[in-house]
Amino acid sequence: METARESTSMSTSTKKGHLVRIENARKNYGSLAALNGLSLTIEPGQFTVLLGPSGSGKSTLIRSLAGIEKIDSGSIFLDTQEVNRGPINVAPEKRNLAMVFQDYALWPHLSAFENVEYALQRRKLSKDDSRKRVETALERVGLSTKGKNYPHELSGGEQQRVALARAIVADPALLLFDEPLSNLDADLRERLRIEISTLTREIGATALYITHDQSEAFALADKIGVINRGNLEQVGVPEEIYERPINRFVANFTGIAGTFTGTVKRVLKNSCVVSLGDDDLKVRHTVGLEVGQTVDVLIRPAATSFKKESENRISSVITDVAYRGRGYEHAIESKYGALTGVFDNVSHPRGGRISVSIDPDRCIAFPIQEK
Amino acid sequence: MQKVEPSRDSFSSRALLFVRTKVSPMTIFWLVIVSILVLPIILFLSVAFSPKLLDQGPEWFTFNSFKAAADPYFVRSIWHSFVMGVVSSILATAIALGVAWIVLRTNSGARKVWNLAIFALLLAPSYLIALGWERIFERAGVLNIFGIDLPFVRDLLYGPFGIAMILTFKGIPFAYLVISNAMRGLGEEFEQAVRVHGGSRLAAFKMMSTLLLPALWSGIAIVFAESISDFGVASQLSSPGRYSVATFTLYKSVESIPVSFPLCAAISIILLLLIVFALLAQSRALRGRSFRVLSGRTRPITRQKLSPVGSFASNLTIYGLLILTLGVPVFGAISASMIQGLGTVISNYQINFDNYIRVIKSPLLRSPLLFSAEAALITATVAVILAAISSRMLVSTKNGVGKKFLDFFLLAAVGLPGIVFAIGYIFAYNLPIAQKYGFHLYGTVALLVLAYIATALPSTTRSLVGNMNQFQESLSEACRVHGSNGIKTWLTVVLPLISRPLLAAWCLTYCGTLLELPVSQILFPPGHAPLAVGIDHALGNYDFGGGTAMEVFAIISALVVVAIAYALYEKLAPVGWKQLGRAHQ
Repeated sequence: METARESTSMSTSTKKGHLVRIENARKNYGSLAALNGLSLTIEPGQFTVLLGPSGSGKSTLIRSLAGIEKIDSGSIFLDTQEVNRGPINVAPEKRNLAMVFQDYALWPHLSAFENVEYALQRRKLSKDDSRKRVETALERVGLSTKGKNYPHELSGGEQQRVALARAIVADPALLLFDEPLSNLDADLRERLRIEISTLTREIGATALYITHDQSEAFALADKIGVINRGNLEQVGVPEEIYERPINRFVANFTGIAGTFTGTVKRVLKNSCVVSLGDDDLKVRHTVGLEVGQTVDVLIRPAATSFKKESENRISSVITDVAYRGRGYEHAIESKYGALTGVFDNVSHPRGGRISVSIDPDRCIAFPIQEK
Repeated sequence: MQKVEPSRDSFSSRALLFVRTKVSPMTIFWLVIVSILVLPIILFLSVAFSPKLLDQGPEWFTFNSFKAAADPYFVRSIWHSFVMGVVSSILATAIALGVAWIVLRTNSGARKVWNLAIFALLLAPSYLIALGWERIFERAGVLNIFGIDLPFVRDLLYGPFGIAMILTFKGIPFAYLVISNAMRGLGEEFEQAVRVHGGSRLAAFKMMSTLLLPALWSGIAIVFAESISDFGVASQLSSPGRYSVATFTLYKSVESIPVSFPLCAAISIILLLLIVFALLAQSRALRGRSFRVLSGRTRPITRQKLSPVGSFASNLTIYGLLILTLGVPVFGAISASMIQGLGTVISNYQINFDNYIRVIKSPLLRSPLLFSAEAALITATVAVILAAISSRMLVSTKNGVGKKFLDFFLLAAVGLPGIVFAIGYIFAYNLPIAQKYGFHLYGTVALLVLAYIATALPSTTRSLVGNMNQFQESLSEACRVHGSNGIKTWLTVVLPLISRPLLAAWCLTYCGTLLELPVSQILFPPGHAPLAVGIDHALGNYDFGGGTAMEVFAIISALVVVAIAYALYEKLAPVGWKQLGRAHQ
């Protein structure tokens, strides 16, 4: 239900982005809780990435911010205006935002130029101004010569660029990205990621980007929020999320080489010694642990190497090697479990025995009860 | 985290919310739907349970009318209707799928002829097709005049075979429109995916058919509902002694004195239950599956080049079908309109254009054509607007209760034979309460046009559902987040994307209304006889020549209107609209 609040449209011209506040948002689809009392604040001009698996609620959240979905309870504020609470639901077109869709959502009956121009209509510019801004936007995404083409005459990457130009052309206060790169190949994804990053920061809009790809999240974000089952597990700058994950889900979802299970042998100030059986491993911990407690040790890919001088070493067998241009990534099997992404500048043969060194600062112990 | 304060203007918000709800476009839409569709249907059907409610008997609540409907004669006729509905809907949809594939996916030369012929087929009501066949094969008919008598064909025609055949012919264009519109939005990548993964042409065709399931089921549901409620074929080919169908027995009940409206209502409810059966089958088949394939990434398809054998076979299929569906009845109508003394025992037959000259000169024959053309113009325009909204609601993932309600009444209106639907209109708008509040619609042109709109709405809506189903929700969501309100989203994106199906739906409704018979017969106001009534009067007065000449004029005029509509679209529509669903040559 849309209300009188709709008539109060958001500021139509902004130099700075919206302050976004989501408070205790809940949304259910039948018995399934898509948002489970989620709260999040995004500062004006900040680029926030929500990282989470399929079905974690990130799409519901971004669609609720856009006004396409309505939360069941809780509030959403854009700057000081409450745009969604109870029956209050400011219409999407009055929220001064733009969105890049996963499937691009380009209107097939309009040319690339017309698609971009459409988003400018709300600004009520003169025809000349409008044309110039559309041309500039298309130029910024490298499509100045493709304005007359219809969507089906463009490649996937070009279509997504048009969608990006459409999103930025009206200088919206909030830019929403719904997994915009998931349909593109790796090379194109990387190039478009850079374009999204630079263009969004150029126009100064607040940005919320959702993805399930942790490398995309770390590359783009000023801040990352990790979402799971409708709950925001942790929000922080990328380094904080990576270095100090608050729980095993966050650690898991932001990239691990593997997990070993063991018993806490000794607790130090920020680290502990975990007995895996025949070997001991010094690791970090982020929550209180006790001697004798069973723990899972989550090991980041960057923690592993074949350095010989390390104390934390596990005997293993190479099971696979992958050439990555700058070097080789190895998969290994030890008696405590498997690890992937063990990097070295030189290749080690499959089936060869080798010791893997584990950097204590980049592996974290979590109590096994958390499972 | 900042605490959320209660909104200060919550009272004014609620007040404005109330006002907005009262006058929102959707409220107006529902008011129209209730007035023209729900009210007449409910009032008429309620007579089956409560005759006293509308002064049709002494009981407030009774099942007597259902007991009367359980008479073997009625039960047999309802069973016959069901069988005819199933046979004709499956045959018509299967034929339409094949034709749509030939026309849209191949370079068959016959496809252009089909595109022209489809509207001729659409605009010919079932009674005209049946009449055409009758005129040829009846005793003292056209073939008889040339010394040919085929009694076994006549026997087939006046029985289940003839009824099923003509209902199938009549159903093909409905099914074709739904399927072809959906097929236009279906890119060829799905078929290509089958082929590159080792699938044969047949497997690709099966895959395409699966993706077209919403349209196929829509086609089956429409043709089934149209068939079991069809009165035209029943009035020509059904009879108590041979093969009676439900609409024929209904017609007989309405004609008999005293008229038993409760019995008619009870039979109508049973027919509606058959429609519910079709709906359940449709929803069960499609449950939980997504068929949204139309998006900005859909590319035009490339036509398949047919081999000489394939080309011959496809041409034979299309031309053969056209001869059976159009050629025979047109030949029947034209020959009958040009033969003086047809249907009589005189042996001095003359072939000339006298009947056409009479139609042009006589206001009695000419004015029904003009009146029906005007009514069809208004009906088609209003029905298409309502159908666009209705079809969008039907495919929406929201509006659960409203959607089911609308779906039921739209199909109920198809399932209700026109003749009893029209009686429902009389009940609804002749009520004292309607008169008290100034709704003096009974016996007016306005009521007739409203009934036309209501009868056209279901099939027009169904013809658009397949396209709406293909429409990616993100396309309209993108409009909203980029600054357009709901109405602008409709005008700038939804309508352009379905402009071609809308045009097809408009033409379909125009043609259907121009020659509509049952509602016209019951509701036409004095001095404003619609075309079908004019033809019926002429035929009833044994003026076969004049009646069939009017038919021919009507068909030609409708074809001209359709041609103009398409020419205007080609001339005026933006390039982007026209290239949607277009295939590479």
